[in-house]
Amino acid sequence: MDWKMMNKSTAGSSKNEQGTEVPVDLGDSLSTPDDDLRLVALAQKGDMRSYDALVTRHRGRIFAMIRNMIHQEADAWDLSQEVFIKAWHALPRFEAKARFSTWLYRIAHNVVYDWTRKRKIESAGELNDEIFERDRIDPAATTAPAGGEAPDESMSHGELRVKIEAALGKLSGEHREVVLLKDVQGLSYKEIADVMGTSLGTVMSRLFYARQKLQALLKDEYESR
Amino acid sequence: MNTNPDEAKLALWLEDELHGDELKSFEQWILTQPEHIAAREEVRHWKQMISATLPESEEPPYPDFFNSRIMQAISQPVTAAPPISTPKATPFWKSWLMPASAFAGMALAFWVGTQTSHTEVRQTASAPSKTEFQPIVYTPDGEVNAVWTSGADASVIVLEGVNPIPDATDFTETVYMDTDHEIDSTAGRDSLPH
Repeated sequence: MDWKMMNKSTAGSSKNEQGTEVPVDLGDSLSTPDDDLRLVALAQKGDMRSYDALVTRHRGRIFAMIRNMIHQEADAWDLSQEVFIKAWHALPRFEAKARFSTWLYRIAHNVVYDWTRKRKIESAGELNDEIFERDRIDPAATTAPAGGEAPDESMSHGELRVKIEAALGKLSGEHREVVLLKDVQGLSYKEIADVMGTSLGTVMSRLFYARQKLQALLKDEYESR
Repeated sequence: MNTNPDEAKLALWLEDELHGDELKSFEQWILTQPEHIAAREEVRHWKQMISATLPESEEPPYPDFFNSRIMQAISQPVTAAPPISTPKATPFWKSWLMPASAFAGMALAFWVGTQTSHTEVRQTASAPSKTEFQPIVYTPDGEVNAVWTSGADASVIVLEGVNPIPDATDFTETVYMDTDHEIDSTAGRDSLPH
């Protein structure tokens, strides 16, 4: 059965307060939170075309967020899908108290932390790549591994993005997430607190220390701009 | 008089998250503080650098396939979870009868066990006396003539036609005799005819 054909009669329209049908454009022109809520209302009734439109609208942000969190594109692709699958199953419980995007970030937060926890358990006892970091090599060592860069790293060497991503990778998971949500995704303190399930004060404190550490790691780049 | 704003409100102002009347009243004081204004500019500069470098949105590879896999996953019927059996309330009589009957059963099993073991001890004590000795009964093969003579001192049985008895035959095992004294197989030897 073609999923696109399901609930075709309800797709692309919703009822207003007077009960009359109001056409809803499922294309990319939708961009406001109100449009999100209309699509969510249709999806909650089982309209999968509306949900497909929601996925199209939000997949870029969710994928970028997860990719910046875990620094692995293939896993970020899988985890982003998991976010939308979980969101679909939780959709009947979604109330329009928060933006749909904030709600998705909350699910993404849980998915990433579950994945990280699982990986920690599975990789226990495996070789730790950190031992190959050059700044951790004993300066008095008589031999040291060659410091050649991988081809892709070499090509993008000097790019600010690589340096920022590397610096973000040195932050703790909580600090990295709060920076990404605030400085990249543009969420408010309140929204970040909702996503991370913590207090406003904790978010403020984490952001302060995370930025301090990042600025110290990117001192040269930051001061030259 | 403490004119310093609370930390939370200052943090919100630094991030441009104060609006309306709250912003107006706060800015009456904060705009007279050059160090805070400089701090806000620094935050804005930082955010601009990060947001210009790391994209807010990044299409995943193969976006159509990305969507179709999600739609395929959510259109599959969800298998119903097996019903969780909730524990039923146990009747009052069961609450004490079951442990009591279990204890009685265990006691009975223990008693039967002890009785069974006593019986076995008695049986095994007497069994070896029957099983250890398998008496060898000598049976003549052919026609045998037997002559029996009874005298004052002895009784003599003469067998004619008996096959030679093998040397390996142990006469001590020929007959089982339930007696406490040792069997004297040579008794009356002197009275035997030569």
